[in-house]
Amino acid sequence: MKRIAFPSPLITTLRVMLGALFIISGGEKLLDLKFFSLVIAEYQILPALVIPTVALFVSLCELLCGTMLLFDLFSRITASIMLAMMALFIAAMTNNLVRGLEHECGCFEFLSQWYGLKEEIGIGPILRDILFFILLLPVALLGSNRIPWKKEQG
Amino acid sequence: MPLSTKSGLPLRGTLFALLMLLLSSISPAVSPLHAAAPAALGKDESGELTLAATKALFDAHSAYFVDARSEYAFYVSHIKGAHSLSESRFDEQFADFRQKNSIETPIVVYCAEPSCGKARHVAEKLKKNGYRNVRVFTGGIIEWSHAGFPMEG
Repeated sequence: MKRIAFPSPLITTLRVMLGALFIISGGEKLLDLKFFSLVIAEYQILPALVIPTVALFVSLCELLCGTMLLFDLFSRITASIMLAMMALFIAAMTNNLVRGLEHECGCFEFLSQWYGLKEEIGIGPILRDILFFILLLPVALLGSNRIPWKKEQG
Repeated sequence: MPLSTKSGLPLRGTLFALLMLLLSSISPAVSPLHAAAPAALGKDESGELTLAATKALFDAHSAYFVDARSEYAFYVSHIKGAHSLSESRFDEQFADFRQKNSIETPIVVYCAEPSCGKARHVAEKLKKNGYRNVRVFTGGIIEWSHAGFPMEG
């Protein structure tokens, strides 16, 4: 089967763009973990006991994966982890939308602060996460898994 | 000089009103709003409070303020001294609320704005759980903050 060829600059652009986005997203969550924990509680999916740990894990994961994408460290693995996270976010938001719950999305708080956009769960944030999922796919499938400093030695 | 105002009110009445206004500006404790607050609680059959009546209760510390919005919204900002009892997580939060407040406690519930509905739902739930003295501040936190009244968060 013939593989679809993605030009390298496109992969690099996607990697840098998504990496920067996840760094900001994870960083802002880490800066106010209490707020993010309260938003996760509002999803009414997880037991209260694990919510602070999940909030810390998600924030750190976004920050770490964003940094690794930005610097092209294990990009394919990193993008795959982000794909899994995006799938979870999409499923959680869809689930709550179907249940008729209205609350903050907990996705990109800086967007609402900078541009005054409402970040409540809804079809908008779901479509946006689907877009991120699609944009992550080329990086996960065709990105580099090489370690840059080893590449230079070879 | 005439002894009455244009509307026919006696000068004595006008002076009394001015005196009350002056006293109100010195201390909220002698404010006519403060005096009207318990009446507002008692008379309004719908259980809904205006901004002025709510402020009077706030100044008199005579009611327990409950924020019916989500906990994260409460965390960001709320009426000074209010407590969170969100509509969405009422069952989880109510046990703690019950321990701290007797059923006789005068309670004022609010949410974001008149159309949000969460305050009314929480008020209904409180009434079902035996709380008799529950009122809703319809204007919510938006009206409160626009009036420049105390907030925290």
